Amino acid sequence: MKTFEEKWTAWLDGELSGKELVEFEASLPDKTAAEAQKHDAHKLGTLLKEQLGAHALSNEDFFSHQLRERIARESGPSREPSLEASTWWTVRRLFWTGAASLALFLICAIFVMREMNPGEQSQYLTQILNARVDPAVSPNATISMFETKEDKVTVLWVEGLQSLPADYAAK
Amino acid sequence: MRNCALLVAALLALATSAPSAAQAAQTVWSGLVIADNVAQPAPMPPELTRIEQTLKELFGYNQFQVIGQSRKTLKTGEEDWLASSKYFALHVDARGESEAGYVLNLKLYKENELLLETDTKLSKRSPLVIKGPQVGGGQLLLVLVVQ
Repeated sequence: MKTFEEKWTAWLDGELSGKELVEFEASLPDKTAAEAQKHDAHKLGTLLKEQLGAHALSNEDFFSHQLRERIARESGPSREPSLEASTWWTVRRLFWTGAASLALFLICAIFVMREMNPGEQSQYLTQILNARVDPAVSPNATISMFETKEDKVTVLWVEGLQSLPADYAAK
Repeated sequence: MRNCALLVAALLALATSAPSAAQAAQTVWSGLVIADNVAQPAPMPPELTRIEQTLKELFGYNQFQVIGQSRKTLKTGEEDWLASSKYFALHVDARGESEAGYVLNLKLYKENELLLETDTKLSKRSPLVIKGPQVGGGQLLLVLVVQ
């Protein structure tokens, strides 16, 4: 069962016929006003068709060609961007570069390890292994040792040796 | 890639062998030095200029004069020598060489009297200074430097 609005639309479009048309027109309260509306609707439809109609393509063949190309490209087998094509860093080169870097690191490490031996006194500082004074000659002598950081001078500091007159400074 | 591997191997060989190539005859300078304070200090002896600042700061003197010295080139690391002044003598007996320096036995004599004896491992990069007895208003120092 069609509603009034459906029948009204069909009537405007001229799609009602026969008994249905007669019954609908009989149901209209003001047929003259309805006819006027129908006329206006037809007029508006004509105008819209004229103004908004699709423009014909001037380069139809080229457009179709472009469209087909794009469809073919997008629907073809998907390809990952290749490493070889996009960058110099192939897997093999990456491997060799890594190996070379590691070797360089080892060489530097060997050099550094030779220079420094943690846990031991630096071999590049002079070391006092032992020191002694004759207790009979210098009974109050004391011995200490230290290193200066600036010049890496090792100092054996002996206190309490017998003082001597200035004559002993002779060459 | 083979060239790269050869280069790496050569560098490794160089790294492991470089220090042994550095072994060569070295000269040890040993000096008896009198440090004192004077109004017009004499110029620093050239052997001591490298440690001039340290000597001045440590001992508080402004003049350092060499009263006896010896310069010995070590070939076997087993040599011995004497640096002496009129009254003092420093006897140095080298007892072997290591990668870092020399093992030395030092004896300081005042005339014929042994004042001090010490065994040291003298590094090629680190001078040795020994504070000796007070002499007049100054101080006797023993200095050993590998040159």
